[in-house]
Amino acid sequence: MARREMQLDPYPLQTAADDHIYFSKEASSGGRGFAGGGCGCN
Amino acid sequence: MQLRRKKRAGKVRENLAMFSASLLAATIAPAANEAKAQYNDSSYNNDIFGPGIAYSEIDSALLVYQEPGGRVRAIEPATDLTAHGAAGQELNLGLVFDAVSGATPNGAVPSDKIQTFVTPLKAQGSTVTVTSASGGSTVIHLPPSPGEVASAALGRQYTVAPNALPMDRGFRDHRIGFNFGMSFPLGGISNVGFGGGYSIERDYRAITANARIAQNFNSDDTTISLSLNTELDSSFPYGGVPTPLTPMIPDWKTPSSRGKTQAGFVLGLTEVMTRRWLMQLDYSFDLQSGYQNDPYRVISVVDPVSGEPTSYLYENRPNNRQSQSLFWDNKLDFDPAVTDLSLRYFKDSWGVTSETAELSERIRLARWVYVEPSARWYQQSAANFFDNYLVSGQPLPAFASPDPRLGKFTAITYGAKVGFNPTGRTELYLRGGYYQQTGDGHPADAIGQLKQQNLFAGTNAAFVFLGYNWDFH
Amino acid sequence: MAARAAESPNNLEHSGTDFLFSFHAMATPCEVRLETDDADLAKAAGHAVEWEARRIEQKFSRYKSDSVVGLINAAGGREMAVDAETAHLLNFAAKCFQVSNGLFDITSGVLRRIWRFDGSDNVPANAQIRSLCQLIGWQKVTWKPPAIRLPPGMEIDLGGLAKEYAVDKALAAICEITSLPALVNFGGDLRVSGPRAHGKRWKVAIESVDASGHAAGLLELVDGALATSGDSRRFLLKDGVRYGHILNPRTGRPIEHAPRSVTVAAATCVEAGMIATLAVLQGKGAEAFLKREGARAWCIR
Repeated sequence: MARREMQLDPYPLQTAADDHIYFSKEASSGGRGFAGGGCGCN
Repeated sequence: MQLRRKKRAGKVRENLAMFSASLLAATIAPAANEAKAQYNDSSYNNDIFGPGIAYSEIDSALLVYQEPGGRVRAIEPATDLTAHGAAGQELNLGLVFDAVSGATPNGAVPSDKIQTFVTPLKAQGSTVTVTSASGGSTVIHLPPSPGEVASAALGRQYTVAPNALPMDRGFRDHRIGFNFGMSFPLGGISNVGFGGGYSIERDYRAITANARIAQNFNSDDTTISLSLNTELDSSFPYGGVPTPLTPMIPDWKTPSSRGKTQAGFVLGLTEVMTRRWLMQLDYSFDLQSGYQNDPYRVISVVDPVSGEPTSYLYENRPNNRQSQSLFWDNKLDFDPAVTDLSLRYFKDSWGVTSETAELSERIRLARWVYVEPSARWYQQSAANFFDNYLVSGQPLPAFASPDPRLGKFTAITYGAKVGFNPTGRTELYLRGGYYQQTGDGHPADAIGQLKQQNLFAGTNAAFVFLGYNWDFH
Repeated sequence: MAARAAESPNNLEHSGTDFLFSFHAMATPCEVRLETDDADLAKAAGHAVEWEARRIEQKFSRYKSDSVVGLINAAGGREMAVDAETAHLLNFAAKCFQVSNGLFDITSGVLRRIWRFDGSDNVPANAQIRSLCQLIGWQKVTWKPPAIRLPPGMEIDLGGLAKEYAVDKALAAICEITSLPALVNFGGDLRVSGPRAHGKRWKVAIESVDASGHAAGLLELVDGALATSGDSRRFLLKDGVRYGHILNPRTGRPIEHAPRSVTVAAATCVEAGMIATLAVLQGKGAEAFLKREGARAWCIR
């Protein structure tokens, strides 16, 4: 339960990159437990 | 009296590590238990952070993203530094750089005849980078306005072949983003945090701020958190902000910028369900108010019989948008595999609803290497003002946008990741993925020549993500 | 950790979110901390650890004439064949002798006949020390596994290894039973199975070298072991000079200018203990040694 792979967001840069891709191609945004951090990808 | 750790173990220590490992390997019966496997590998640098208690992490990553057919390509290096303090405090600084280039659909529908588009180009006398018009477009002199004798104005003109999805190839943009965050326990509260960020690119700026409070219960099995976030954006498109639903013209427009504000909160619950099952449930609510249009996107107005485009109007979206989402994530530990399954439901006041399901399976092949295949399924409905095109002669709607990002489609991502952690402190991982959007390109009500065209402007994309994490004193 | 009476029975109690199983063995308070609310499991783990600790104590005790060490020491010059576990420990001790250039030497135990570290001022005479030094030196021992032969009058003492070895073995015993976060602590030599739940760290206080009872420092562990070498309890004080109990086998005297306490963190307790011992054996050069070796350590002078 305590290893990196069992933590909620063990690879924040990877999560951010994924979110960035989906945010720029889809209408839904966010949903995960952290707040903020926008870019203007339109 | 504090001793700093040197980068490499000295000879004596190396030898002792080996001797100890072989002593214990010989005297402790080998078993499938991973903990024992460590004894056999004297090069394994077992991780402890103390004395000195505090430790830091540097994460670096590079994303390379490419859509086929000369469409968008993005290269995005990012780095993150986190310092962990003795009492659970955390300080985080992050930097990201984004270089985007390639062609992007301009919103118009394909036609069986050649189409020509002209967009603004800065007038002579200012620093014009002609290369910005080099992606398949030409610099032209604009005809003089009524009453003018000759015009010094320039425009950028590009043509689109028949039956091709109109794309503007001239886009090239660089973005730099910076973010910081701090969190720490405070009195009886398990965790309090705040942070902010700043992102700037050629035609957009975003400033973000957030605050968070979290409390643990049930011997830390349960965590409830609330975060508030706000964002202040400014759009200053090249060519100025066009008046919505007016014809596409190459003139320099006013105003030069428009803004948007966002405020929202996320209510989260994290629960350790069993020793092997960790669950997270988040509810998010967001309000956005202000300019939310894509200033470069136009919608075709077509002839009601032939379906040929007669003009192009700048799109328009409502000023207000309220959205909610519910996100449920589960992590299940089935040594040697860890499963991550998440579902998200999203709904907003623009009429978009979406469902997302994501599954990944992290499988440890040996102590120092793992693979992680993953899949994501996504489906969204169209915004209620989404239209592939408008029909000439019909009343103009208040809002209309042909942006495929707001249309109805399904998307599947296939991913695979491999990671190496030779020591307890560093990890190198590589992730590749393929993203595929499918939408209806042939709606039943298509008019005239549009019946023969593929009206779906969504895309596929391949991406590669390389990351490196390093923990140190 | 309060000292407990030598023969008191073991004790299981709640401690925060853990169960704490404590007992007394190897002349030291021992405890096993398991992050669970399952009392039966904690008891099973505690018993496994206690069993292993007592087994090792009895097998390698120099005080018992029928222990392996006792038999080797009583062989009077004859060859003794030893079992696999003892052979591995002797191999380890032999390698440590090499790597420390003779500073770590398990034949130096005979010095305890003349040095008693009871806080008094009974420092032995030079003549006594000289004569005993004839009986010290691993290079004089014939060790051809599995047979060991000590020249008459020589002895081996595995006291400098046994406790740390017991910690490592005890932790392995727990890992056979459960994969829950566990900490085994034999009088300050300790090891954890891994991080606590949710990646949280184990908190360990380093005992101060003075009698104040305060902690000299607070460490946080996510993995590995800690061992402390020091003189806070066993020393001699004469003419204002404090003689720590770690003796230099080459001179027969306590190491000069040794730090009062060295705590080392490493992957296993055996490794941590040996680095700590070697550091103290460097005397004045303890910190430099630790720094050169890139060890994670804490010295108190």
